[in-house]
Amino acid sequence: MSNDYGHSLLFGTFVTPVNDPVHQAVGQAVVADRAGLDLVTFQDHPYLPTFHDTSTLLAYAAARTDRIHLSANVTNLPLRPPAVLARAIATLDRLSGGRIELGIGAGGFWDAIVSMGGTRRTPGESIQALEEAIAIIRGIWDTGDRARLSIRGDFYQVEGAKRGPAPAHDVGIWVGAYKPRILRMVGRAADGWLPSVQYLEQGLADLAEGNRIIDEAAVAAGRRPHEVRRFLNIGGRFTAQGAGFLQGPPQQWVEELTEVALTYGTSGFILSSDDTTMTRTYAAEVAPAVRETVAAARAGQST
Amino acid sequence: MRNYGHAIRLGVEVMGDPDAPQSAVDLAVLAEQVGCESVVFADGHNEAPAADALSLASWTSARTAAIQVVPRLATTARPASVVARAAASLQLLSRNRTGLLLDPRSAPTGVDAAADAIAVIRGLHDTGRARVSHDGRHHRLAGAEAGPALTREVPMWLAGADPRAAALAGRAADGLLIDLDEVGHHVMAELNETLDQAAIDAGRDPREIRRTVTLPAGKVDPAALVSLVVEHGVSWFVLRVDAADPAADTALRTFLDSVAPQLRAGIEQALPPGALSARPVRRADVKVHRRAGIGYDEVPDDLAHTAVEPGDSAFARVRSTYLRGGSPGLVLRPGSVEELVSALAFARQHRHLPLGIRSGGHGISGRSTNDGGLVIDVGGLDEITVLDESTRLVRIGPGARWRDVATALQPHGWALSSGDYGGVGVGGLATAGGIGFLARKHGLTIDHLQAVQMVLADGTVVRASGTEHPELFWAVRGAGANFGIVVAFEFIVDEVTDVGWAQLAFRAPDPAAYLEAFGRVATAAPREVTPFLILGQGTAQMLAMVDSTDPEVIIGGLQPFAEVAPLVQQQVVIAPYASVMNMFPQAPHDGRGEPVSRSALVREITPEFAAASADLITNGAAHWYQIRTVGGAVSDVAADATAYAHRDANFSLTVMGLNAQRLDRWFDPVRRHSQGLYLSFETDPRPDRLADAYPPATLERLRRLKATLDPHNLFQDNFNIDPSTPGSTS
Repeated sequence: MSNDYGHSLLFGTFVTPVNDPVHQAVGQAVVADRAGLDLVTFQDHPYLPTFHDTSTLLAYAAARTDRIHLSANVTNLPLRPPAVLARAIATLDRLSGGRIELGIGAGGFWDAIVSMGGTRRTPGESIQALEEAIAIIRGIWDTGDRARLSIRGDFYQVEGAKRGPAPAHDVGIWVGAYKPRILRMVGRAADGWLPSVQYLEQGLADLAEGNRIIDEAAVAAGRRPHEVRRFLNIGGRFTAQGAGFLQGPPQQWVEELTEVALTYGTSGFILSSDDTTMTRTYAAEVAPAVRETVAAARAGQST
Repeated sequence: MRNYGHAIRLGVEVMGDPDAPQSAVDLAVLAEQVGCESVVFADGHNEAPAADALSLASWTSARTAAIQVVPRLATTARPASVVARAAASLQLLSRNRTGLLLDPRSAPTGVDAAADAIAVIRGLHDTGRARVSHDGRHHRLAGAEAGPALTREVPMWLAGADPRAAALAGRAADGLLIDLDEVGHHVMAELNETLDQAAIDAGRDPREIRRTVTLPAGKVDPAALVSLVVEHGVSWFVLRVDAADPAADTALRTFLDSVAPQLRAGIEQALPPGALSARPVRRADVKVHRRAGIGYDEVPDDLAHTAVEPGDSAFARVRSTYLRGGSPGLVLRPGSVEELVSALAFARQHRHLPLGIRSGGHGISGRSTNDGGLVIDVGGLDEITVLDESTRLVRIGPGARWRDVATALQPHGWALSSGDYGGVGVGGLATAGGIGFLARKHGLTIDHLQAVQMVLADGTVVRASGTEHPELFWAVRGAGANFGIVVAFEFIVDEVTDVGWAQLAFRAPDPAAYLEAFGRVATAAPREVTPFLILGQGTAQMLAMVDSTDPEVIIGGLQPFAEVAPLVQQQVVIAPYASVMNMFPQAPHDGRGEPVSRSALVREITPEFAAASADLITNGAAHWYQIRTVGGAVSDVAADATAYAHRDANFSLTVMGLNAQRLDRWFDPVRRHSQGLYLSFETDPRPDRLADAYPPATLERLRRLKATLDPHNLFQDNFNIDPSTPGSTS
C-alpha cells in the first residue's frame, strides 16, 4: 500500500551557490521565481571558498525575488550557532514576507568543519546536537511564551535569553537524513524530511523504510505522520530518448515523479539545476502535469 | 591638534525593531537617497534581540546601489571563519560596498575575541596562501582553505571606547568607532594617543586607522563635530537612529541637509585646503610588498581606489593571465575613459617599466602581465549596448567577455563571431583579428568593425572609422595593440539564431594523411561550415559550427568530414550560438610560467606541411595542435583593407609546447610551408615573426603610422612595431 500524507505538491530547484560568476546563483533563483516554481535551495558548505556564504546568498536572493520560497539545502549546523541562525531566519522571513524555510543537517565533512574552527562530533553526538538546536530555534521563535528561554543541552546552552524575533510564517524545519537514528529524530522533532536521491543506498526503495521509521517515531512522540512533509532532492536530464530515472522527455519525468509521489508520499521535488532551460522546462512541462495527475489519482483513490 | 587627513564621511546606524526589519531597510534606502555614504546595522544578542545584522546587510545590499552596508557584529556570536565567508560574499554581491564593524562589548573577553576574529578574517581573505591556520582562544582555523579572492579588501573597524580596544585597533584594525555619548571628548585624546602608539609599535602608520564616532539622533552641534575633526582626527560620523522612531526620517534628513554643510564649512575654515583626502591609506603590511621604481603615492586620485598593489588581497585575481604567471608592481583599473587617460599619463611617467594592457587577460601573445611593471586593466569597461536595432549596430567595451556578448545578443537573434572560448575578453581579440566559429560565413571579428573610440599614447581620445582617422582605423584592425587602447568598439553584428554544433572524434593513426584529407574537405565545404580541428597522436577531434537551423544542411555540411576517417564519437545538436560560447565554464585566469605557442597561416595543407606537422605531433614536442579554418568570407576582404593582411589563408594553425627550443626544432619545418602567422597565437619574440605577421607593405605602413601616433613606443607589449627601426625588416 502506498503512502500519502496529503500535502499539495511543491517543486523547486537546487542551485549550486558558486561565487564566480558572482551573481550566477542569484540569477538562477530569479529564473526559478519567474518560472513559477515554489522553492529555490542552496547547499551550505562554509569551508568551500568557491561557494557563497549560504546565509548571505539566501538574503540577497530573497531580496531579488518576489514569490518563491528559499531555503538552505541543508544548513551546516556545526558552523552556525542555533540562536543566531534562528534570528537570521526570522529576520529574513519577515523581510521576505514569509518566504524562508530552514533546511538543516547534522553536519558531515568533519575535517573541513574542524579546519574552520568547528568541533568534530560523532554521528550520535551530531544528531543530539541537532535536536538540541531545533529546540533552541523553536524556543527563540516562540514569542508567545513570555518566559525567558533557558535550554541546557550537552552541545548548546541558552541561559535566560529573550525570545524573538519570530518569523512571519510557520517556517518549516526540514532535515537531511538517511540513517535510522536521525530519522527517528526527524519523526520526533522536524517538519520535513529532505533526502537526496543519489545518497539513498538502495535507491528509491529506501524511502519506504525511511517513511516507516519517521512515522513510527512521530506517533511515539504524540505527533501525526503528516506533520513531517517528505521532500526529495533529485537530479536528471531532459533528453529525447529515455535512459533511466529522470533521463528522458518531460512526459517520462511526469510519470516517474507521479509514481514517486503516490508510492512514497513525497510532496516536494527539488531538482538540481544550474541551467535556465532545464529549470524552465521543469516548471512548465513537469510540475503542473505531476500536480494534475497526482490530484487525479488521489481523487480516484478517495472515491 | 590631531588630524589624519581622511575626507569626511557620513553614515547612519539603524537600530531595528526586531519585529519590523523592513523599517530598517527603508531607512537605509532613504539614507542612500539623501547622500549617506554608509549604513550600519546593529546586531542583536540574547539580552536585546534585534534583527540579524548580516541578513539585513545582505538584503539591503540587494536593494541599494551605492551606499556602503556595514553589519555591526558581536565578536563572540558567530565563528569568525563563517563571518569571513559571509563578508566576502557580501563584498562580491554588493560590488565592494561592504565593511565589518566588530563589536567586542557583549562579552567580557570581547576584545581578545576581536583580535582573533581580525586575524581569522584577514587570513581567509588573503588568497596569497592556499590554507590558513590560527590557533586563537576564541576563533580558530586549522588549515582552512583561503578565499574567495576579492577585488577589494573588506575593511574592518572595531567598536569600543576603552584603551584595550583602542590598542587593538591600532595594531590590527582599519578603524576605531566610538559611541560618543558613552564617553566625553576628553577621552578621545587619550584613546587616540593609545591607538597611535599601538600602531607605531606595530610598524603601522597611524593614518591607516580611521577614527569614527556615532552620535545619538537629536540635537547635533556642527561646531562640536568640527572640533572632533580638527582636534581628534575624526573623519566618519555615524548618526544613530531608531527605525521605530517616527522622527527617524526627519533626523536623518536634518543630519544630511543641515548639519553636514555646516560641518564641511567649519572644516574648510579650520583646516588648510587639501588637508583632507579620500585616497585610501594602505596598511604597512601591504606596503612592504611594493616594488621599486613605482610612484605609488602619485597614482592619480581617480584611480587610487581601484588600483591593486602586490600586498592587496585583490592581487591574486589580477596578477596572472590565462597562460602566463605574473607579478606586476601595480595594476590600474580605470572605470571610464577619463580614468584611462589618467592611467596612461601615469604610465608615461614610468617609461622605465614594462607596461601591460589587459582586457580579459586571456591573451597568449600580448604580455598583459609582467614582473614589477605596470598593468592597465580595462576589464571594467565592459558595456554592451545596442545602438541601432535596425542596422544591428552594437557598442561593446574592451573588458566585456565574448560569452557575455553572445548572451546579450541572443535575444535579438544576433551573434558576432569571436573565437572558440567565451571567457576571452573583447579588447585583445578585436584589435588582432578574431578567428571564430562563424569565420567562413561571416568573416573575422574585425571585419564587423564600423568604428572605435580609442586613447592614444599621448592621452588623446579619438574616434576612428572609415571616414575619421581612416589610417588608424585600418591599423586597429589587426595591429591595434601598437597604437592605443580601444575604449569602445562599434560592430555591425550578424543575424544568427540557432546553429548546428558538432563535436566529432576520429581515429587518425596517420596524421599526415588525415590532415591532407581534412584540408581537401574543409576547402570544399560550404561557407556555413567552420570546423576547428585538434589533432593528437592517433586521434583527431573536430569542433564545427554550421550556421544553419536546417538539420539537412547541418548534416550535409558535416557528412564529408565523417567520411575522411573512422568516427569514434559524435554529438551534433542545434543550439543557440550563445550556448556554445557558454559551454565551457568560466575559469579563473591564474596561469603560471610563460606559454610557448606558435602560429602559422597557410593557404593549403600541402603534403609537405602535413608531413612536417605529423613529425611534430608524433614526436611529442607539442601538446596542442589546433587548426582553425579561415578562408570563405575572410578572403572576401582585400589584403590591404585592414592590417590583418593574410586574407588568402584558409587555415590557421596553433601549436603549443612546453619547451621553446624543442618546439621550434619541430615547428620551424612546418613554418617553412606556411605563408604568415596570426599574432594572437604566437609567443616567439624573434624579430622575424613581425614580418610573418605583417607582409612588407603592411608593416611599412604600420611603422609610418606608429612613428606619428606613438613615436616614443609606449605600447610595446604585443608584437611591437618599433617606430625607430627604419625600412623593411628583411
